[in-house]
Amino acid sequence: MGNLFKTKLNAATIVLIPACIGINYLGKLFASLLKLPLWLDCIGTCVGACLGGPVIGGICGAINNIIYGLTTGDNITLIYALTSFGIGIAVGITARLGFMETLPKSLVCALAGGLAAVIISTPLNVMFWGGTTGNVWGDAVFAITQANGMPVLLGSFIDEVLVDVPDKLLTIIITFLILKGLPEKIKALYDVDAKVERLD
Amino acid sequence: MSLIQIEHLKYRYPGTERLALNDISLSIEKGEFIGIVGRNGAGKSTLGQAVNGLVPRFHNGAYGGKVTVSGLVAEETPVEEMCEHVGLIFQNPFNQLSGAAETVFDEVAYGLQNLGIPAGEICMRVENVLKRLDIWDYRNRNPFALSGGQMQRVAIAGILCMRPEVIILDEPTSQLDPQGTEEVFKVVEDLTETGITIIMIEQKLEKLAKYCDRIILMEGGKVRGFDTPEKIFSREDLPECGVEPPAYTRICKENGLRLSDGTYPVKLEDAEILFRESGIRPASCEKKPGRSSGGEEIFRVENLDFSYIKGVPIFDKLMLTLDERPTAIIGQNGAGKTTLVRLLKGLLKPLSGKIYFRNDDISGKTVAMLAHKVGYVFQNPDDQIFKYRVLDEVMFGPLNIGMSPEKAREEALKAMELMGLSGMEDTNPYDLELHQRKMTAIASVVAMDTDVIILDEPTIAQDHPGRVLIGNMIHELSLKGRLVIAILHDMDFVEEYFERVVVMAHGRILSDGTAEKVFKDDEVLSEARLQKPYVTALREMLASSETKGL
Amino acid sequence: MSGLSLYVDQGTYLNKLHPYTKLLYVFAAILIPLIGGGGILFPVTIGCSVILLILGKTLKRSFPLIAFSFTLIIVIFLVQGMFYYGNETPLFSLGFLAFYREGVLYALRIGLNILNMLLSFAVFVLNTSPQELVEELEKNGFSPKFGYVINSVFQIVPQMMKTKDTIVDAQRSRGMETEGSLMTRIRAFMPLISPVVMSALINTRERAIALEVRGFGRKNKKTFINDRQKLKGDTVIRIILVLLTAGVVIRRVYSCL
Repeated sequence: MGNLFKTKLNAATIVLIPACIGINYLGKLFASLLKLPLWLDCIGTCVGACLGGPVIGGICGAINNIIYGLTTGDNITLIYALTSFGIGIAVGITARLGFMETLPKSLVCALAGGLAAVIISTPLNVMFWGGTTGNVWGDAVFAITQANGMPVLLGSFIDEVLVDVPDKLLTIIITFLILKGLPEKIKALYDVDAKVERLD
Repeated sequence: MSLIQIEHLKYRYPGTERLALNDISLSIEKGEFIGIVGRNGAGKSTLGQAVNGLVPRFHNGAYGGKVTVSGLVAEETPVEEMCEHVGLIFQNPFNQLSGAAETVFDEVAYGLQNLGIPAGEICMRVENVLKRLDIWDYRNRNPFALSGGQMQRVAIAGILCMRPEVIILDEPTSQLDPQGTEEVFKVVEDLTETGITIIMIEQKLEKLAKYCDRIILMEGGKVRGFDTPEKIFSREDLPECGVEPPAYTRICKENGLRLSDGTYPVKLEDAEILFRESGIRPASCEKKPGRSSGGEEIFRVENLDFSYIKGVPIFDKLMLTLDERPTAIIGQNGAGKTTLVRLLKGLLKPLSGKIYFRNDDISGKTVAMLAHKVGYVFQNPDDQIFKYRVLDEVMFGPLNIGMSPEKAREEALKAMELMGLSGMEDTNPYDLELHQRKMTAIASVVAMDTDVIILDEPTIAQDHPGRVLIGNMIHELSLKGRLVIAILHDMDFVEEYFERVVVMAHGRILSDGTAEKVFKDDEVLSEARLQKPYVTALREMLASSETKGL
Repeated sequence: MSGLSLYVDQGTYLNKLHPYTKLLYVFAAILIPLIGGGGILFPVTIGCSVILLILGKTLKRSFPLIAFSFTLIIVIFLVQGMFYYGNETPLFSLGFLAFYREGVLYALRIGLNILNMLLSFAVFVLNTSPQELVEELEKNGFSPKFGYVINSVFQIVPQMMKTKDTIVDAQRSRGMETEGSLMTRIRAFMPLISPVVMSALINTRERAIALEVRGFGRKNKKTFINDRQKLKGDTVIRIILVLLTAGVVIRRVYSCL
């Protein structure tokens, strides 16, 4: 598994990063346009992770949040760059291991992404927000757990699982469906083991 | 030794079976202007990119033979080194901007910064080239805010200031409006005087023939011929290569007028001399028999007012009636053409005034309600294609408007045949080239079998066979009583296929009538900043020289 | 300036200060109250940021940046005020909802911290050109490839956002519904996002070519053409900020001994 993290930092992969961040923005935009009850704001990160590998996926995620912070002035999003970084890495690793080959297998990818999000976000939620996530449904559940005397960390964990896992699941399914139709010409640009074959 | 030497070059893209380049050998001397012509998919761009090493270093795949440029072996030289010797400009001006610079000045300097050239020298070179290309005034503007023609000149400036020995121009005007095209060709003309070696891939053959020393004719990944423009464009096998010779060559051929060496002329001046000497007058362009009358009224626009920003009106009390005749809307960018058709489609709503579709006021109707009446093909097919099979993509619209799956399939197959896509039902649209994706997008709207079909710049990126296909589609739909409305920049295409032409400028209709009538009106054309079709221009030139002779 | 960045060059002193100086201010403003134990320090740093925002003529533009946090702060007040694990002393009650002193104080602390972070960050974001920051970072050895990524996001993302309306129009023109039941709306998502991803990847391929032919990835040292004049204020301000932070740290360490 030496090439699990192998990354080409050529022009093609570098340019992939801003494109993926654009996809993230548009995913979020379309989700709110259609009034969907999900964020769908890391499709680009997942595309980047599947094509460029875990390192590129992680970078897409992290830079996405940094830019989002710089453009909305919201430095709390900056801290969640860690979460996005984790999602990118997790999806990238599982994709390299072959879990994006079929739709059922991709559920493993989704689970990895969702878990990465939950594990990294929960402590951040507790540290900065006292455990809430800012999502109405998730926070209602958090309030119930607190009312019943559960520890903050556990309550916040449940809150986060409810909010993040369905979102990541749908995100990965969408990513899978899109990348299935990707032409060979484009896939070849990101093939880390590509070599020029001789014809004479 | 020649500046560029190509020996037995073979190349195959990754994941494909076919050789994109098949055993090509040729050499190009320093200072030559070389044209490459052929149908889409003949291997022109691939050959161009083999010269600067993008093939195979960037694309990977399978490679054979050898390419050397001023002593460097293309396959072994990193592209970032080769770029000091060979520059490349391609179709889409927008994708050529680095994206890293906020101003035109920084954008042009970007390559030089990468090369590590001293700052003082960079500023001098950039200033020089910006002034030469007439974009110095834009130096502090954001490059993304420029027009297509200006952006393309910025891209050329960015390459020129790196002072390469060879510059490859890969259809640099194919996505520009007429004004942008003129701007870029002016730059090309300027370049011919500098002695730089130029390789230009182009579909506008009248322009190409004017500048080229020699032309490479390609078909199926092979070089069919490499000779002077006159010899290449006089060849009998041009139709099977998907190439239509320049307008002047065609007219001379029709009239049997040859140069002394037996070839046909390729330039306006040469054609003019031959016609004058022989006393023959060129016949006007032949049209397929169309409708004899205008037919029923389809759209009626009454006192239409519209503006995007309050106080900046696009239209002021616009009046227009459209009947069944195929209608071309022409004019420069910003004339209001796209806004008008979007209003007809119901994508925009009038501020005041009425739009009637078959005597029905459409202002209260939604886009979805009009979907089965009015079809609209957007300019960029990549804004709509999302299925993995061409057939599914083409069936998406018909199914949405309530056709049964059987009927939708039938209509889709008919539309695909009309657009030359038969046999590609199971192909992934994104494995197709841009011109075929464009055909897919057109088919996906044609299949909805709407009363009206609106086309926004259908001929962009098409070669000669593609234009013929689109022309035939327009003709056929019109015979079936469908109204075809098209926004076009290609005047020769307008003259050949449209019965009615509407000229627009600054939100006003300057002229409206048959192509013949409209293209005769010099005053209107100059106000709308439009050029005449080549054949009309030649005919008028002859007429005026005859009066001068008298 | 691109549509994405919040920076507007107004020629103020804050605009002219070195990006690092402003960045240092953000760190100092966040760390000082956290290390110093909060209390009076939160209002001091918040006050400082507000004054800087006024001086930079950016106070008005900073409102939208902090407005969104108010709903979150309210949620925190409700949840912590009622359910905080250390709640003992009842403070007041609204009907059957009982609020506790410990929870409300805890929420106050979180709320002030959030406000402080957002305001100090607003001082930085509204007065610093991202391009300038990247260039300064590159001069200090930051990889030009990553510099490119950050710069290009500011240019390319707004261009991609512009395609949004065209894609929606193109699909609606083919009879696709964007309103209605949840199922209809979910079904509309793929026809919208798929063209975005595909054209982004196709454009990426072309842009990569455009970069390659302009020497992207060269090993030699890149040239910088924009020289910035050094301000005396930069050094002075940086020293003050470092001293203040150090002072708070020393006081904290001393009080622990």
